[in-house]
Amino acid sequence: MKLKPATLRTFTTLHSWMGLIAGFALFVAFYAGAITVFHQPLQQWATPHAAATATLDDAQHLLDSVLAQHPEAREHVGMTFPGYELAEPTAYWQDSHRTWLFATPDNLAGSPTPPGASLPELINELHYTLGIPIAGTWLMGLVSLLYGIALVSGFVIHLPRLLKDLFALRPGRNLKRFWQDAHNVIGVLSLPFHIVFAVTGALLCLLFVLMMALNPLIYDGKLMAASAAAMDTAPIVQKADIAKPLSPLASWHARSIEVAHGKGIANFVPGYLKLAHAGDAHAVVEITGTSPRGLGGGAVAFDATSGAVLATQLPGARDANHATLAAVYALHFGDYGNVAVPWLYFLLGLGGAFLFYSGNLLWIESRRKRRQAEQGRSSLIMARATVGICIGVCVAISAAFVAAQLLPWLDWNASTGERWACFGSWALCALWASWRAPLRAAQELLGLAAIVTALVPLAHGLATGWWFWRSAAAGQGGLFAIDVGALALAIGFASLARAATRRGRAGEANSVWAVEPR
Amino acid sequence: MWARLSAGVLPGFFLAATLIGLVSWLLPGPWESTVVPGLLAFFPLWIGAICAACRFTSGKQAWGWLSVLALLGLGLLWLLQTSGWIR
Repeated sequence: MKLKPATLRTFTTLHSWMGLIAGFALFVAFYAGAITVFHQPLQQWATPHAAATATLDDAQHLLDSVLAQHPEAREHVGMTFPGYELAEPTAYWQDSHRTWLFATPDNLAGSPTPPGASLPELINELHYTLGIPIAGTWLMGLVSLLYGIALVSGFVIHLPRLLKDLFALRPGRNLKRFWQDAHNVIGVLSLPFHIVFAVTGALLCLLFVLMMALNPLIYDGKLMAASAAAMDTAPIVQKADIAKPLSPLASWHARSIEVAHGKGIANFVPGYLKLAHAGDAHAVVEITGTSPRGLGGGAVAFDATSGAVLATQLPGARDANHATLAAVYALHFGDYGNVAVPWLYFLLGLGGAFLFYSGNLLWIESRRKRRQAEQGRSSLIMARATVGICIGVCVAISAAFVAAQLLPWLDWNASTGERWACFGSWALCALWASWRAPLRAAQELLGLAAIVTALVPLAHGLATGWWFWRSAAAGQGGLFAIDVGALALAIGFASLARAATRRGRAGEANSVWAVEPR
Repeated sequence: MWARLSAGVLPGFFLAATLIGLVSWLLPGPWESTVVPGLLAFFPLWIGAICAACRFTSGKQAWGWLSVLALLGLGLLWLLQTSGWIR
């Protein structure tokens, strides 16, 4: 396909600017996001592995106590079933100050801190906010938009050579071509994955802002009133103001499976419930669950006193709104299909991180002054920032993992300590890279990343006694995968550190990546 | 490039919104049934508008065309909505 040279030039400029602005944030989002794919095993990995199994009776006891102790929860309360995210059920509701409170069978009074380990949430926060409170989500929404523009412009620039160069990976003296080939092939082959993330990422971060903006513009001011019906399953029902006891929780559990079965969903697994107007004759319960064969789960809403079905949104029988919403969640979080899907997401996530890293390297390489040792200031700054921020966040995440195991072992507060370990080590890495020659910093930080990441399974084994061979023997696939995955990443970082050393010895001297750049 | 880019970002926003609005309200059935697909499709449309704006020869042209199209579309949508021809 032929393109006008002017178009090509515009889109190249557009692509480099978008990459420049959004590339760092996207690297963090993809590296942390690849790990967040395994948030459920990570939750197990970061909590002391007590073989606690809760039953529906425990859940019933929790619900009864919460409803008795907290009048606000009678209006609206949510609760996870045992084994969904955590082994124990968790109830959550908003108190009179609209603060969310969480209660478990061990803590019926409720507390503002969600139960379970804080590590998965820290990694998730890095993924969707970079760790910046409040504005971080909107920032990442904008980053998703810039990422979308970079995808379109990158695709257009590459279009004339797309098919011819698709599988070309040309190592050799021309290093820029090699990096360009690698950048292109990963970009093109994982393009569908990236389109999904640009669009769903923007929607998940900016949904509310967009709704506020579009409501007066195209929805005649009626969007907010319509959004509940478009996104929830249970209809909004007025209270009857007649007291009536709830039917037992176990009967709701069985009822949701029965209703889903009647709609052709053979193996519906209830995950969590939402209960409104508890104690009233018009109490409504909505049960959301997963069905292994569908894209996204489904939900069943029924009368919480009689079991009469009010509404269903199940795979194969959903309206356009619920089908789209379920698809957005399932495609973004990778919770569909079998065990291959999270691994595919993990690898594509790391591939995405490589895409942004190599993009920065290409930016530097295309500005390199080939005939003189002295390089531009912007190239030097870019090299330092790339090393400090990108390799730094790899060190930081591994440091948080190590802290999550060692701090509780030493009787310290893991939740605060992890944050200090994570953001402190990240800041130190960035500071180190801003001061050292870029190649030296890359070598040293990659070496550090290899060491800290290799410490992850060691800390886990020391603190809990669950060495990875014991996890493997006990059939704890999730624990085993995290420890061995960390070892594999450590080997990866070590070999990258070696490659950096080799580059320092044999590489081009007229470059910011020379051992002593000027 | 920045003039064209800003044309994609500002009038492009309104143009993408208008397109979503027209499709959502003109499709058979109530507009409420396409709220979520509409919100989702908004982002690729806006990104498309930004990239399309960069293909104009000048910023003035990009601003002009996108603004006129967005205003016409919004006007049509509001006319149809207030007259009750679509619901």
